[in-house]
Amino acid sequence: MTPTSRLLALLAFALPATALAGPRVVTTTEGLASLVREVGGDAVKVESLSRGIQDPHFVDANPILAVKLRDAELLVDVGLDLEIGWLPPLVVQSRNPAILPGGPRRLTAASAVQVLDVPTGPVDRSLGDLHPAGNPHFLSDPRRGLQVSSAIARKLGEIDPANAQAYERRLADLRTRLEADLKRWEAQLAAVKGARIFTRHRTLTYFLDWSGLVSAGELEPRPGVPPPPGHLADLVEVAKRDGVKAIAVENFYDTKSAEVVARHSGAKVVPIPGDVGGEPDVKTYERYVEVLVSRLCEAVR
Amino acid sequence: MNLRYSSRAAAALLAAFVASPGGTGAQEGGAAPAAASPGGAETSGAAAEEERRKLEEEIQKEMGGATSGRGATGVSKAQPAEPGPPAAPSATGGNPFARLLLLPDVSAIASVTADWNDQTDKVGFAFEELELALQAVVDPYARADVFVSFSDGKADVEEAYLTTLSLPAGLQLRAGRLFSPFGRINQTHPHVQEFIEAPLAHRLLADENLGGAGLVASWLVPLPWFAELQAAAQSTAPTEADEARFTGLARLSQYFPIGAAATLGVGLSAARRDEAAGQFRDLLGGDLYLRIRPPASRAYLALSAELHARRFQGVPGVAEDFEEGWWAQAFERFSPYWGAGLRYERAPAGAMPGDEKRIGAVLAWLPSEFQRIRLEASYDLLPDDTHAVTALLGLEFGIGAHGAHPF
Repeated sequence: MTPTSRLLALLAFALPATALAGPRVVTTTEGLASLVREVGGDAVKVESLSRGIQDPHFVDANPILAVKLRDAELLVDVGLDLEIGWLPPLVVQSRNPAILPGGPRRLTAASAVQVLDVPTGPVDRSLGDLHPAGNPHFLSDPRRGLQVSSAIARKLGEIDPANAQAYERRLADLRTRLEADLKRWEAQLAAVKGARIFTRHRTLTYFLDWSGLVSAGELEPRPGVPPPPGHLADLVEVAKRDGVKAIAVENFYDTKSAEVVARHSGAKVVPIPGDVGGEPDVKTYERYVEVLVSRLCEAVR
Repeated sequence: MNLRYSSRAAAALLAAFVASPGGTGAQEGGAAPAAASPGGAETSGAAAEEERRKLEEEIQKEMGGATSGRGATGVSKAQPAEPGPPAAPSATGGNPFARLLLLPDVSAIASVTADWNDQTDKVGFAFEELELALQAVVDPYARADVFVSFSDGKADVEEAYLTTLSLPAGLQLRAGRLFSPFGRINQTHPHVQEFIEAPLAHRLLADENLGGAGLVASWLVPLPWFAELQAAAQSTAPTEADEARFTGLARLSQYFPIGAAATLGVGLSAARRDEAAGQFRDLLGGDLYLRIRPPASRAYLALSAELHARRFQGVPGVAEDFEEGWWAQAFERFSPYWGAGLRYERAPAGAMPGDEKRIGAVLAWLPSEFQRIRLEASYDLLPDDTHAVTALLGLEFGIGAHGAHPF
């Protein structure tokens, strides 16, 4: 290859791939990417800015991500300030006006679901690093996962009308599959309804809302605040009193404080994937919910 | 509003819209589905796009080219980006928080230090700075960032600039008062830096940050990695003694991913500042940044080095050689709450010929994202072999909604 042809090849590689059949979609999390993949199928090329093994609150605003956003024909983000620490400057840096908040090629998934944990009283940071707009961890509830999928299908159809019917068809397939899953999962969960669990951060609010499991508290006394010993001691007492059997901890959190509470209370530490991609074999959204349901059911039985 | 063309254009628009199978326009059912050829989804999609492009051109012509091509960024179809808390049960009397919704993000970051050195053996306190930031989008085409710095007895507009959001071809303009795009650290606010004290070599650029009123144009080069080319024209006054004078700057910064866990940043900067007639000040800079962060962790190691060089040309009594200063530092954030760093640096001493050398260490404790307490110690060696040990204790705290920091 001559230097010129190599440069041309590079440039060709760099140009937005208009030759692709469907739109180039960028998501902020792997969970959203897996839903886009379900609905978009082979027609879309999807890439997540963060990885499932990462804590989505603390992704670096790495300029390399701005390059991915520059080429995005659709940006799907979670919203509710989950990505506030890194996404806004990257979007500005990408010089892609269509993916700005409210832009025609921006889908904020939170707009498709009913949001929980919305603070109603006065809010300040004495409450910790909370999400003032509400809890953004809604993909742990498969019903909401389906709502987000519908919004994705609608949006994909809007920006790629030629494939709109295909997206609707794939959405219908996903709905059929998820509805069958839901029946099965709900049957499993019925056996443990009302069982109490701890979580590290308030990440499972939506899962609990759906599953009928109940939160007995969080290891963090307040969002983002590391657990002091006194708080952990309180939790040990709560665990003994209320028979809390499981402490769910996402892969991106340290398990040390959970282990301490477990040791003193007899509860079990249940490692769970924080998102699709949080564990090597959790490659799809269905698998992600499946793992949540089976691990927690087993732990609290 | 000049919408006279609308009936014809609307008909064309409708036709173009229903031409795509599944397009929402099809539900209206009014116009005949002109091109809904069964089985031709791809081709009709491309045809519709072509038709749509022609229509846009036509409309542009009819509007006398007055509309900007990418103007309205789809505001009509936009969903609310962040569904706020569910509004009060009914909209009687409208949204009581309307004024609040329009407020820019407001934040204040304060920095106070205590210092000791072995020369005076005395402890002193200093209020370094209160930075007040106001940040918001201006309109669909631009956003604004304003930073006002208050320190003992004075207030200063640190930066206040408009950033375009919708220029084509990867271009972006910033205008207002802003830090010059020269090197890495010059463009950062003190509360983003790892060390309390600015690097010695920075004195080759300016007392504080090199910057001033002007314009920065930047281009995100269409390459698979991040490459940004910046050109700036500003009036700068590097020191309080200097008058503001025209300065032209250029910078190329690039970032490359190295595996899944590391990113390498490389930057080159150059500037020429007019001094008196026929006299110039030339600045050259190079910077390296390597950040290693396994994705699953919040801990990271950041290695950085920066070189600044300066020469005067045509200034009577001043040698025309380049003077250089540089620093290299390593900072490790062990956990969300703790970090530590080391820095070695050298730069022209200024008061006497030869280089001043300094080695410094910093320990940072971050009780939360909004507070940082740092202990810093440094050992300075001057060309005449005099030396000094300095210790600094700094507290920083921030309140309000502050924009995310650059990488």
